Order: sequence, then C-alpha cells, then structure tokens
Amino acid sequence: MAEETSNQEPTLVEQWLEEQREWQKTTLAYLDSIVRDEEFLTHLGNAMRGSLLAGKPYPTPVPPAASAPESDFADRLDQLLFAVRELQGQVADLRMTLDEIRAGQDKAATGADPAAGAADEGGGSNAARQADR
Amino acid sequence: MTFAVDERELESLIEVSRRSRAKLERLHEVLTTPGHYGAGATPAQVVYSENKLRLLRLVDDGGQPRNGPPVLFIPAPVSRYFILDLMPDRSFAGYVAAAGFDVYIADFGVPTREDRFCDLAYYVDGLIRRSVRTICRTSGVDEVGIVGYCLGGTLALLYSALHPETVARLALLTTTVDGDVEGGIAWVAHRMGLEGESYEQPRLVPAIEVKSWFEMLSPGSNSVLGRVSDLWDRLDDPPERLRDVRTMASWVDDVVPAPGRLLAEMYSQFGPGRNGLMKGEAAVGNRPVDIGNVTMPVLSVSAARDTISPPEGVDAIGSIVPQAEIVRLRGGHVGIVAGRAAAGLWPRVVEFLGNGKDSGDRADG
Repeated sequence: MAEETSNQEPTLVEQWLEEQREWQKTTLAYLDSIVRDEEFLTHLGNAMRGSLLAGKPYPTPVPPAASAPESDFADRLDQLLFAVRELQGQVADLRMTLDEIRAGQDKAATGADPAAGAADEGGGSNAARQADR
Repeated sequence: MTFAVDERELESLIEVSRRSRAKLERLHEVLTTPGHYGAGATPAQVVYSENKLRLLRLVDDGGQPRNGPPVLFIPAPVSRYFILDLMPDRSFAGYVAAAGFDVYIADFGVPTREDRFCDLAYYVDGLIRRSVRTICRTSGVDEVGIVGYCLGGTLALLYSALHPETVARLALLTTTVDGDVEGGIAWVAHRMGLEGESYEQPRLVPAIEVKSWFEMLSPGSNSVLGRVSDLWDRLDDPPERLRDVRTMASWVDDVVPAPGRLLAEMYSQFGPGRNGLMKGEAAVGNRPVDIGNVTMPVLSVSAARDTISPPEGVDAIGSIVPQAEIVRLRGGHVGIVAGRAAAGLWPRVVEFLGNGKDSGDRADG
C-alpha cells in the first residue's frame, strides 16, 4: 500500500513548485561559489562569453598603450629594455662557451671519456664549434 | 481574477525549466572542478630561462629525466606551449617522453611591450640556438631531435638550415613552407588588403587581435552569440567531456600577444607573393638561409582539414627538402596534435625520432 502512495505522480502544480525550489538551490550554489572562490566570477564571465577558459578572463580589447608606447620616452625605454634582453642572451652564450672550454680543459687534463665528460660538464666536442658562435 | 493555465503549456514549461537547470548545474560542476588548465601536464624542470623563455625538461614521476635521445619541442610563439602537453592522458610531449626520449619544450611565455622588437634572429639564432646548446650540455650530446609545430616549425626549419650539425632529425607539424598556397592567416590579411605589421615601428599585437585572425578562419566562432549558443548546446554533454572541452578552451582562448616585428618579418619573407622559403630567399637577420643545408632526416606532417596551415602549403616542403617524408593525416590543425586525430600522429613521430632504434628506457606509450 505504501508503494502505491509513493508512486502517485505529483500534480503539475506540485511539479512546478518543486522546480522552483530546485532553481533556488541552483542559484544558491552559484552564489555560494561566487562568495567562496574569487576566480569563479571570472569563469562565469567567460562562460557568458561562450568560453570555458579557466584561470584568466576571456581576452578583451586592450588600451592602445599596452601594445604601443604613447610617448617617445616610453618607446626608447622599451628599446633599451629589449637591448638589455639581447645582451642577456649574449652573456648566456659567453657563459656557455666558457663552461665548454673549461670542460674541454678538464677532459684534456684527466683524459676522461669524452661522452661522460660532456654529460657532466657540457658539450665537450661541441665546445670548439660553439666557441666561435 | 482567474488564470487559465493550459496543462500542456505548463508541462512543457516545466520540462524546459528542468533542462535549463540541468545545464546550469552541469556548468557549475565543470566550473568548480579543478583540472589541467593553463599549464603543462607532465612534471618538468626549468633547465634554462631567458627573457620570457623557459626551457622545460620533462621528468618522470620520480623527478628523473629520461635517458633516451634528446628531443626539443618548439611550439608557435603566438600561442601557449601547453597544447603539446595538454593533459596527463592527452600529452604529445608526454607520449614521446614515455617512449623513452629526453623531452624538452621551449615555452616562449607571454611577450610584453618591449618584446615587440623580437624578430626572427632573436628567436632562431638566439632563444632556439641557446636552448639547443643547453640541451647538448645537459644531455651530453652533439645533436638533438627537433619537433616544430606550426610557426614553431618554421623557426625549427630555419634553425636547422643555419645549424644543421646540431640537428639529428627534424619533424615539422603543420608548418607552411609555400606561402603562395591560398589559405591560412597570411592569406586572410592579404585578401583584406592589410598592410601588415611594421618592422620599423612594431607594436605588440594584442591577444584579442591575434585571436580574431584565427576566428576569421572558422566562421561563426567570432560571434559571442554563436559561441554562447554552442556552449549552451554542449552543456548536455557528460561532465568528463565538458572538462576536455574546458582544457582545450583554456588553450584556444588563451592566445598571447604577438611581437609585431616577428610577424612583419615572417609576412614579408614567407607570405603570399613573397614565398621566400620556396624561392630560396629566406634570411635570418643578415644571414641568408640555405635550405639545402637541411640534409638530416625530415618528417613533415599536414592535416587534411587544416584551415590555418593549408595541407598543400605544408606538403610543398618536398620540393625544397627532397628527403622529407611527407605525411598527411585526417584531422585539423589542433586535432592532430591534441585531439582525437592525434592517435595517428604521436606513434608516427616516435617512430621517426627513434628511427627503429631503441630510445632508451622505452615505456608503455
């Protein structure tokens, strides 16, 4: 008898009211996530733009200053900074060459196996070729 | 006052309400589940860094590098590197590492305003050359295998022509060499009559603009309404499938700004009507590039449904690098490296890199 009672289909109005309660739960779950996780709003904003991109906002137009400098001074500063980056690379090249020369000398001094030496110190047979780059 | 409620109307209203709520609940679940979003999936060590570049060396679960032949992955500098290492079970680089190779990935990072001056020489003769030097030192070898993807393949090809003695084998994935074959981003700009970027006065091309070029190649994807409607439809998919979609979205929608000088140089050398690679007129900085120096084994893979790098423009490498093995796979530009079509690519590349030799501590790939 109890089974018969539980199988009774709720009326449409009851279903509608139940549906409204479920919507309240869904809304609360969203609100809860917004409060608990700062990134959730970003993710929700991305979804509202049709993207599931995580961790950052969907790309939007940037102010012109972010892509090109507004003044000569800023432009020269950028050029200077880039020149420093290039120098950084050249210094790294020099350091690698020095390491390779040093490794080559160590190997010559100890008569070690070239392959093992290269693995330990770096690039033995490469050293001469790399040195003039 | 009375409300006349049609029963069928209410029934369908309840059904629509249930379906919509289910979609929003699924969206909530996906948005609150952590995943591999925006970073590589395989454990890695940074073995060299310079400006925004990080040279990553993949390691095993115990933090140890593999002892097989070294392989350098070069992604396109206008997108994020982790498409090559997307998820634990969907990582191209991870698959190659699991086959025993000592895998390195060049993560070019996200350029900032001063990086708008970066040109071909900065990438090819600077970042890539020093990365290869570092790998040779670290792995104790004289030459490395290189896998270049898209524009990263163009950089890899130029590097291999300038420094062939350091490249054991070269795999180029969806890398256009014939700029006169119609299609792809360069042709969109050409057809629109755009001037292109300025070499002398370069700008940092904003990410959203780079993204809009890709979107022009897949009509509909640049409309917010189209994207929202597509996502809404997808919310019927199972959560696991949606998490995959989210992982991919975290790459597709995370486009990086591009150095204007690099784009200007590539367009003026390799774009429609210029076609410097096919004509043998390419140069890196002041150094002319002789593609004839590329004598190492080369594998070139195109994707049949590639709208970014049209397959005919990719396969054309056969006429400038005669020994190149040319393979065309089913799938699109991204699908062949990280989608369902990747099943055709990964073993092929492992086989090519290993050339039948044991790659060391070969594991179940």
